[in-house]
Amino acid sequence: MTTGEVLLEVDDLTVEFDTPHGRVRAVDGVSWQVRAGETLAILGESGSGKSVSTQALTGILEMPPGRIVSGTAQYRGQDLIAMTTRERRKIVGDRITMVFQDSLSALNPVQSVGKQIAECYRVHRGLSKGDAMKRAAEMLDQVRIPAAAKRVNDYPHEFSGGMRQRVMLAMALALDPDVLIADEPTTALDVTVQAQILELIADLQAERDMGVVLITHDLGVVADVADNVVVMYAGHVVERAATSAALEHPVHPYTEGLLLSMPSAELKGQELPTIPGTPPSLRAIPSGCAFRTRCPIAVPECALEVPPLLTVAPGRDAACIRRTSISAKEAV
Amino acid sequence: MTRFVLRRILAAIPIGLIVTLGVFALVFAMPGDPLRELAGDKPIPAAVLAAKRAQFHLDDPFIVQYLLSMKDMFTGHFGTTFAGADIASQLRLRIPVTLKLATLSLALQWIAGLLFGLYAGFRRNGVVDRMLLLSTLVVLAVPGLVLYFAGQFLFGVQLKWLPVSGITEGYPLAYLLPATCIAITGFAGMARLTRTSIVDTANADFVKTARAKGLGEQRILWRHVLPNALLPVVTLMGIDFAGIFAGAVLAESIFNLPGLGQFLFQSIRFHEGGVVVLLSTLAFVMFIAINLVVDIVYGFIDPRVRNV
Repeated sequence: MTTGEVLLEVDDLTVEFDTPHGRVRAVDGVSWQVRAGETLAILGESGSGKSVSTQALTGILEMPPGRIVSGTAQYRGQDLIAMTTRERRKIVGDRITMVFQDSLSALNPVQSVGKQIAECYRVHRGLSKGDAMKRAAEMLDQVRIPAAAKRVNDYPHEFSGGMRQRVMLAMALALDPDVLIADEPTTALDVTVQAQILELIADLQAERDMGVVLITHDLGVVADVADNVVVMYAGHVVERAATSAALEHPVHPYTEGLLLSMPSAELKGQELPTIPGTPPSLRAIPSGCAFRTRCPIAVPECALEVPPLLTVAPGRDAACIRRTSISAKEAV
Repeated sequence: MTRFVLRRILAAIPIGLIVTLGVFALVFAMPGDPLRELAGDKPIPAAVLAAKRAQFHLDDPFIVQYLLSMKDMFTGHFGTTFAGADIASQLRLRIPVTLKLATLSLALQWIAGLLFGLYAGFRRNGVVDRMLLLSTLVVLAVPGLVLYFAGQFLFGVQLKWLPVSGITEGYPLAYLLPATCIAITGFAGMARLTRTSIVDTANADFVKTARAKGLGEQRILWRHVLPNALLPVVTLMGIDFAGIFAGAVLAESIFNLPGLGQFLFQSIRFHEGGVVVLLSTLAFVMFIAINLVVDIVYGFIDPRVRNV
């Protein structure tokens, strides 16, 4: 499944913010890649740096206060971070597109949805107004909005949440991109609509052989749709694996904790296990391993240095000095 | 749309009734005898006084006086003031004065407010932005009355750049100082609102979406930021426009401009209930009409409040 061409490859990306209380490192040495046809999930809780990393590489992060300290993001061999804004605009918005969480605030409230979709064709393809609107209506139809030809002139507030997210998708997929970055696309939706949207993304992805980067905090979503998963904690990648492998044999104690705290039928009636403590403030990340203060298997050495992301098995990486191989985990 | 306009006009009728009744009652309740005050210390023959009282219905009950004024107003018989001036011709002379003052001050206020607000919003925390925030804070803290007198003293009396009062110098020179004073008080709120609105909108999610679409900064500004950022500014422009009469009362009295505001001020002093109600009604109708226009315009620029 994950044998397609590597479309987007992020390497050692580090992003900092200048705040009145000093410098804060939101993303620290993050690396991942996505291939054609692959769905890569970036999993993490709020503040783990999952959105910031994608916003930094697409150039939509406010800079300042944000700042890319190091790293590359190669799209088919071209580094998005090193290129000029003008060059990047030809790729971001055309070959790499994004969908955001809250579709009500992410759409311009005073422009019809058709006009907003047509804008992609106008700017990137130079289509005439009439042709662009025609294509916009076709796009709305493709994301299965009923009576698309009529609704193309409606405004965002006239759509339901699920329909609005479809509009966002239509806009993102209008130019048939290679990579879709979906930043919590279903978080604001109720569960049934969420499933419909994920299914729609999967269908459109299969049609187009598109790479999808799915940013989420929802393990259920990861289990449903992702081929591979990158787990982030406090700006670091702590585990990288195929979804099935990560779900069955989590290596990093954080991933393990997340999985254990998933409600399931077997645990019915029992108290749900949780990870003790709260995520660290980015201003006061513990020394060494950021997770050690909440980790059940932490040892004094964990405080010494940031654990490197090590290959623990073929295709599996984890950043934990207690578990440097799959077998090491069994031994603990 | 027609339904909407009709509904608004119908809704204005009871409000107009309450406003005129209230204004008339306030004038009626003022202490002192209007005719005796008009005469000053001079004794008036009882017969003359009685004739005048009868002419202006001053001995009728309150509600009769009110209804008679309303009748005069709607039939177009405005009559004369206590002092004998023809009210209709007064209006003909005074309306252009107020219109000139209002348009000049609004133009100054809107242009300056928008320019500074937009610039400061886009160059947030820059020199212009900081200066604007500080200076508007000062302006907002100074009462209009103080500002008018200070402006008159500084530019009229001391520097002699502009006429101190009156309209003998003609338009626009005679109007420049009072219009600027009105504009400065309104400018502060306008510039601040514009600035804040620009800053808020520039950080909105849909601007991030526009950037993710690979749009150029100019396109983002004109198609996405401004149409949204200027919505509250349009509302404020409407409120300013409708409230310009209030500013005119003060400015015309201080700068001695023979406009409607000064007329209103004098009429209140002389307890001329009929004239006060007439001018209040004029202001009220203007207020309703301008608000209606603003609401209609608003429907065009913001689909969320479109009225059917």
